[in-house]
Amino acid sequence: MAMKILHYALVILVLVVTLFPFYVMLTTAFKTSEAAVAYPPQIIPKDVTLQHFKDVLNPRIFPFGRYFLNSFKIALTTAGIAIVVGSMAAYSLSRLVFPGRIIFKESTLVVYMFSGILLVVPLFKIVSSIGLNDSMWAVVIADLVSTLPAAIYMLSGYFETIPESLEEAAMIDGLSRFQVIYKIVLPLSVPAISSAFIYVFMIAWNDFLFSFTFLSSQEKLTLSVGLKQLFGSMDYVWGRMMAAALLTAIPVIITFSAVEKFISGGLTAGGEKG
Amino acid sequence: MQKSVNVKKMKSGLMQRRESRLGILLILPTLILIGAVVIYPICYNVALSFQKVALNPHRPSKFIGLKNYANLFSDLEFYRSLGVTVAYVLITVLGSTILGLLVALLMNRPFKGRKIARSLLLLSYVAPVVATVYVWKYMFNGLYGVINYITVDVLHIFGQAPMWQDHPVYSVMLVVFYDIWRVFPYAFLMILAALQAVDESLYEAAQMDGASAWNRFWAITFPELVPSISAIISLRTIWNFYKFDDIYLFTKQVPVLGVYLYETAFAVHDNGGAAAITIVLFVIVFAFVILFGRKAVRK
Repeated sequence: MAMKILHYALVILVLVVTLFPFYVMLTTAFKTSEAAVAYPPQIIPKDVTLQHFKDVLNPRIFPFGRYFLNSFKIALTTAGIAIVVGSMAAYSLSRLVFPGRIIFKESTLVVYMFSGILLVVPLFKIVSSIGLNDSMWAVVIADLVSTLPAAIYMLSGYFETIPESLEEAAMIDGLSRFQVIYKIVLPLSVPAISSAFIYVFMIAWNDFLFSFTFLSSQEKLTLSVGLKQLFGSMDYVWGRMMAAALLTAIPVIITFSAVEKFISGGLTAGGEKG
Repeated sequence: MQKSVNVKKMKSGLMQRRESRLGILLILPTLILIGAVVIYPICYNVALSFQKVALNPHRPSKFIGLKNYANLFSDLEFYRSLGVTVAYVLITVLGSTILGLLVALLMNRPFKGRKIARSLLLLSYVAPVVATVYVWKYMFNGLYGVINYITVDVLHIFGQAPMWQDHPVYSVMLVVFYDIWRVFPYAFLMILAALQAVDESLYEAAQMDGASAWNRFWAITFPELVPSISAIISLRTIWNFYKFDDIYLFTKQVPVLGVYLYETAFAVHDNGGAAAITIVLFVIVFAFVILFGRKAVRK
């Protein structure tokens, strides 16, 4: 019994410490501006206001809607390309035998470990030389570097769990390999494909480095970069910043919790850029 | 019997050729994409590192041989940066792995609400870095931050609020704490998965032999966790070696290689120099991948 209580106490302690920053984010977003800078800090807010959310959603103060749309477009495009291209490659690597397969399989894993800052300088030069500077496509391309190998890894792991006999039986019944893929494999893989999709979406949505480096005009910025600008402005209104941070985090948190079960599997199988 | 195998073999030989063509066809888009966004940039970067790159993109760059490397290796800033990076990697990798292990052991015992607790623990890993970095900055603010209130006025750990974001030592501590907080869920998840795969009957046998919980952990549990833990350590070491985002957003006081590289490229606008730093970082990371990374992921 004492062990049980101690165990619960430790679990609660870990949860309180790890969730505390989110608690601060949430309460500060609802605090008045004076309360946010009060000392000693109000851990439980005395007055609650919705003003910061109104401000963040007011396009004259902060173009949240536009940034949201830009982030959404980039994340959706990246996820779409990574999943279409990635599931083709994943199927090829997990089911079909062809020369060079093992080398390709290993190289996707190696590529998986290179990204971000290691490629930002050459990508920046290349992107500007082909006139893609300040275009969402530059960010999509860069985001694909880290997400495509992850998608391939997650999906080929899943395809390998589909019994091969199922596909063989269908082929004996006269289906071509191609028909097998879209009549049997793809329908069976809907949960895996959608969780890989959301996983890629999440990485692209959270990206800061590439959108910060490649995008320059105000109307093209993503939420991450917009947030940094908001934080960098002189009028430090913490409530407004926390409201914006909260609204940026909520979409990924909601989508993540919807598919958490699958993603955790993928994470433990492969790992993440991080 | 022998005959039918041969027929099957012949048939499959024909089919195999078709299959292998399809296999190549399906992987081709990936090869083209990776070639365009990874292989080509890397080669291009090697070329850049031998040039003095003109600021104006329409001006030609000048070939200067190994000068960028010579400059880099004679720059004290580079060695300082390397030292800070090694320290940062060591502490964060150890910290997040150990914390992940402890939390996984804690969460491996069944209790009410375990599923929800598990999901909540992943939040820091899922939320956008920019969003959480600024909450941390707010919490560690020197005037009204809640951390100073707790450490100075409640727990009396410090006599006076440390300058978390400006002091060269405290700011390293700040980015280290942040990274451990952010990435420990990854170690936690992987170790928890490994823990749940341990064969229960081993414990029963050990218990019958009268082994204590401590002995059981070191004799049974830990050996089963070693592959996951070494995978986590290798991957995290590689990833944290070129960490950029959160450190850049937090402070100007922690010049890890990622930040040093970024500043050289986009603040000093020395693209050739930045390309040389990229190559050096690349070689270090690649050595790591060859030594540990491939094995870790292949597992």
